[in-house]
This record gives sequence, C-alpha cells and structure tokens, in this order.
Amino acid sequence: MIWVEILSRHHHDVQARHRCPGPVVRIGRGYDNDVVIDDPYVAPRHLVVRRSENGELVAEDLGSANGTLVEPGAERRERVALDGTRVLRIGRTRLRIRDALQAVAPERVLRPAQRTWPATLALIAAVVLLQLLADWLGETTEPRLSRYAKPLLVLPLIVVAWTSAWAVLSRIFAGQAQLGRHLLIAMCGLLAIEAYDAVPEYAAFALSWGPLAGARVAGLWLIIGAVCVFHLRAISPARLRLKAGLVAALAGIPIALQALAQSDLGAGYSGERYVQLLKPPAFRFSALQDESAFFAGTARLKDRLDRARTEDSPADSDDD
Amino acid sequence: MRNVLLGLVALCAGAACAQSDPAPGRSPLSSAAQGVYTAARPRLVQIRTVVTAAGRQSTLGSGFVVSGDGLALTNYHVVSKYALEPATYRLEYTSPDGTSGKVALLAIDVANDLAVVRLDRRGGPSFQFDARALHGDLPKGERLYSMGNPLDLGFAIVEGTYNGLVERSYNERMHFSGALNPGMSGGPTVTADGHVVGVNVARRFGAELVSFLVPGRFAAALLERAARAEPLSPKTVRAEIGRQLASWQAGLYKAVGAAGFRDAALGPYRALESSAPWFRCWASTNADRVPRPRAIVEATSCNTETQLFVADDLGTGHIGVTHAYVKSLDLNAFQFATFLSQQYAPSLSGWNRKWQTRQRCHDDFVETAGPAPGPPLRAVWCARAYRDFDDLYDVSVTVVTQDRGDAALVSKLSMQGVAYGEAAALARRFVEATRIAP
Repeated sequence: MIWVEILSRHHHDVQARHRCPGPVVRIGRGYDNDVVIDDPYVAPRHLVVRRSENGELVAEDLGSANGTLVEPGAERRERVALDGTRVLRIGRTRLRIRDALQAVAPERVLRPAQRTWPATLALIAAVVLLQLLADWLGETTEPRLSRYAKPLLVLPLIVVAWTSAWAVLSRIFAGQAQLGRHLLIAMCGLLAIEAYDAVPEYAAFALSWGPLAGARVAGLWLIIGAVCVFHLRAISPARLRLKAGLVAALAGIPIALQALAQSDLGAGYSGERYVQLLKPPAFRFSALQDESAFFAGTARLKDRLDRARTEDSPADSDDD
Repeated sequence: MRNVLLGLVALCAGAACAQSDPAPGRSPLSSAAQGVYTAARPRLVQIRTVVTAAGRQSTLGSGFVVSGDGLALTNYHVVSKYALEPATYRLEYTSPDGTSGKVALLAIDVANDLAVVRLDRRGGPSFQFDARALHGDLPKGERLYSMGNPLDLGFAIVEGTYNGLVERSYNERMHFSGALNPGMSGGPTVTADGHVVGVNVARRFGAELVSFLVPGRFAAALLERAARAEPLSPKTVRAEIGRQLASWQAGLYKAVGAAGFRDAALGPYRALESSAPWFRCWASTNADRVPRPRAIVEATSCNTETQLFVADDLGTGHIGVTHAYVKSLDLNAFQFATFLSQQYAPSLSGWNRKWQTRQRCHDDFVETAGPAPGPPLRAVWCARAYRDFDDLYDVSVTVVTQDRGDAALVSKLSMQGVAYGEAAALARRFVEATRIAP
C-alpha cells in the first residue's frame, strides 16, 4: 500500500492524502492516473511510483516539461528514491509519498490545556497599577480623575488592536489565532515598557549623564522588537534566528532615524530635554563634584562652541 | 523708532505703572516751536535704507547735519541693516526740500545706538551741541523740541520736556516727555535756541509720552572719533560691532563687580543678588493662584535692562538673575521633583540660528567649597557662541539645591553677549553664594 500526500506550500502540512493499494502509482493531471492533480503545470502523465528491486519506493518522471524536482533546493531529477521524508515538487504541487511501513512518532500524553488567563489578568493589573503610579508621581496640580482614566482607555485599545493583528497573522500562517497567547505576549511587552519607561531618565539623573536619557527611545524600540520576535515564535518557531534578525533590522530603522535627526539638529539638542529633568535628590548616585571641577568642565565647552562658530554654519543645520 | 526697552513693559504691570508720571505737555504749543523748526529745517534729513536690488525703501529714520562738509548723526539702528548687509542694502537721504542723495557710513557706537554718516553734499548750515547738555547740567523741566520724520508723514517738530537722566539705568539715556514716533529715530532734540541736547532713540510702549534720547555728549564724542579715525569699510563693520560689544560688556561686568553683592533671603536659603542700582528687581508668588497650588513658589527676578540693539533680530547685553524658593505643600518627593522640572528652565531661550551657535550644556552635581560647605547642588551651565563676534557668548547657569526632597531653591543667572571669562567669574560667585542660612 502506498500513500500519496499533497502538502501545503509553506509548512508542508498535509492537505490531501490518497491511499493507493496497487504496487504502482501513476500521478498526473489526466483521469487515467491513480492520483489526479488539478495543477495546470502538471503533465497529464507526470510521475510514476513503483518499488525497486530492493523494495524501496522510487519515483520516475514520465518526460514532463516541468519535470520532477526534489525539495529543498528544487533539484530536477528523472528518478528519485523515496525515503518517506523527501518532498517532491511537480508543477506547483508538493508531494510526499510513503508506504505503510512509515514510522510515526509515539503517542503524546494528553495534558490539560494551559490556562493563560490568570497570568494575563495579573499582567493587566500590573500594567494598570504601574501606569496609575506613573501618572500619580507626575501629578503636580489638582488631582483629576480624567487624567488617570485616559491612559486606561487608550492602553486597552492599543492592546486589542495589536493582539488582533497578530492573531490574524497567526490564523493565516499557522492556521490558528492563538488569541490568548498573543494577548499574553502583548501584556508582557506592555509591562516591560511600563517598567522600563522611566528608568533611563532616573539613571541619567542619578549618574548625571545625559546620553542615557537620550537612549530611552532606542530601548523602547528594542522592547517592541523583542515582543515581535515572541509573537513570531508563537506563530511558528521555524527559522527564528532569521526572523529575529529581520525584526532587529526593522527596529534599527527608527533608532537610526532618531539618531540621524539628532545629529542633524546638532549634538546637545537632546540634552535640552535632559537638563530640564529633575528627580528626587535621593536618586543622586554620582558623587558631588568639586566646584572647580564643574567650572573646568564648563571651560572645556568653550572650545567646542568656538569650533561650532564656523562648523555648523546657519545654512546647513535645521531650524527647530 | 524701535522699542528696545520692551522688556520692562511686561514686568511693569499694575501698581508700579499707575504711579508713573502723568502725561506732560498739556499746555498749548508755544510759537517758539515754529522758530526752532524754521531754523532747523535745512539741517534735517530723512535717512532711508534701500534694498539695492529693488530700489525701494526698507526702513526709515531721521538724521541731522552737524558739519559744513556733510557729516550727519543718526542712530545705529537706523543704518544697522546696511551696516550688517552692505551687499543687500544701501543708504539714501532726503532733505525737507525734496533733494536726495547718497549716504556713506563713517562710524558707529553700538552701545549708545549712534552712527555718523557722510551726505554727498557740502555747505549749508549745521547743528551745534548745547554746552549744558555736554556737561550734563541741563535742568529738569527744560523745554525741548524733537524733530524728525515720523512714519514718513513729513518732517515734524514735537515739543516736550527734559526729565533728567533715566534713573538706575546702566546705559545713560535722557528721559524726554514728548511724543517720539517710529521714523524720528536719529533726529535731533534741541533746546529753544536750537542747540542739540540729544538724539531721539526710543520710546516706551504701553506708556504715554515716555521717550528716550541718547545724551549729546556721546554723539559729540563719536563725531570727534569719526573725524580722526579711518571711515568704516563694509568689510570691517561686523568686527567693529564685535569689538564694541566686547569692550562694552567688559565695562558692564566690571561695574557689576565693583558695585558688590548681597545675600537675598529665600526661605532657609541665601542666594546672590547684585547691589548695582541698575538691577531692577521684582517679586512674584503663586500663593494666590486658583486652584490652590500644591507647592509654594516665591520668586524674585532682577534684570539689568541693558539690552543693546545689534540687528532687527538680535539684541544682547542683558543680565538676569532669578531665584525661586519652592516648597511642597502636599506633593511627595517624586511629584515635587516633577514640579521643579516644570519650574526651572536651564536652557537658553530665544535661539536665533543666524547669530548664535546651538547651545551646549554641562551639568553635574556640585558641592561648593568654602569654610561652611553649601548644600549639594544640581548645576547646569548652558552656553552658545555668537558666530560673528569673537569671544561673545550667551550663558546661563542654573542651580537647584539638592538637600531636601520637599523644598528647593532654583536659581538662574543668564548673561547675554558676555565674554567666557567674565561669565565664568560671575557664575562662580553665583554658585558659591547659594547657601543655607546658618
């Protein structure tokens, strides 16, 4: 008995499976075949599968124009020995041919499905609390409920849109939406963003080192990139390194654009926001500088300003 | 005419203004004005800055002839466009009788907003300076006549009174109670016998008949300099402006140092305040705000009002000191820090790319030296250089005390058009003076 399996293009999932009892199986578009394939790029009589002298299955091309190709690599062959894992391509159709002796994986033990919603709920609560905390710590005027309510309205909308988009992609490419899993990943990402958001500014203040605050946006994009990689892994773990590389390259674009915009505006521009920044004195980590050291630092600025007199002429920098 | 002193107007709202002098000059015009004008008419000119390519006027001012060989005085700001961009503009004059001709720029005095020009005509009468004005003993209340071409409506004479020198002003200016209008800049103000006491220069917006003259002695001095020195060439004007600004600021900072300093008390903190009389100080508080503020801000700000006109889009020479004592009422340390961030602005404001480089800042946590160490400070120094003027910078130094989480002193010293060394010296005093009251 020979099984002819027609596979999907991307993941080689079985789309149709034909049971052929005879020792020889003819495959082609014509109705005189054992397996009829509705693919205009397949010859009416394309392929024949039979057993060789030593008993293994062999496929032979019957002189089709497009030939029989062996995946991966699409190597055109007249005669292919089949081992049950080899995938053939005729026209645009992928085939795998197995006999009844094909070994299969042992039965998996059924475990109850993992419930993700308690973790998701906990994450949502953490995100909401962090957001409320950030709003509360930044509040300097009359407390207004609306100020707290706004992010609580906007954040769910973003999460719903984001999760839905990934669920749709997941449905298309993996066949199942995995809404719960994507929601979990999105909430983890959001929690990471909430937790990270204030860190660069506090660190910059603590160490009195401006570039840290400037790196905030780059960090945010890296978190978003990492979240995307987890989403992609949920869809399919195949070729994860390639996907991660692509995402990193994509995340690199906004980071590079930001750096470019900053260098266009001239160094020190991002610093204007940074020097404005104050945190509670208890967060100061760097040691107090001697007054003379501070003024030595300001004196060093003079050379840079004098160079800027001629270097960044008014004609080639951007107005803000 | 340009209001170079607009800054004070904004500050001077409410009570302080209500006490200012009522409008003088209600008495009917005397026939003296007719005689003064008739005598002065051939000596007056309108000075026009013309866009060379279009051949049309761009700005207007007035001037007056001071010598038989065609020397005339006007304001620097009347000829500034030409002085800075001689390739784009040229100068022309028009006399009351309609004749016109070319004008050459000979000398400028940026600090006193004066310029000496040469008209392409010879002969004719010229103005003489009033001897009392040159010696500074013109009596208050003296009747003065100001002339020029206001708003290009035709030459006019305005009657007013001399009210002494402007008090507590670093740049010496005469207070003239009379109606100066745009276009009269650079025109003469004369006594009843036709002698020049000053040059029309500015008026205060938002006030009635408060006008200012450059004292005649500066004009006479510049005239003397112009007669001796090489005439300015278009190529050297910017360097000359830079040189004058540099020497003017050196004088200003020397005077500030000489006037001494005193402590300003702000809550438990002490901060630097200049004793120089030309710092005008104002206080403000947010205690009466609605809704009730969650942190009290008690601020003082002192300004020198010494801004000089350099170009339409560049004034420089101002020194400002602000101190704000901020105390939390019911804000926690984080909220208070956010509040402080909104409260203070260490960056320099009003950047004009054409004139200045982008600012660069240096920040750190600083401990002041001395017998009793001051509170830990967060200090930020921001500076930018003037592209055309060597060793002139805009600098601001901001310090925030870091000894407590619920109260702080935020102090800022801003200096425009200052040499780097002068700025550092004053900034150092400023930082050192920030202390906690013993």
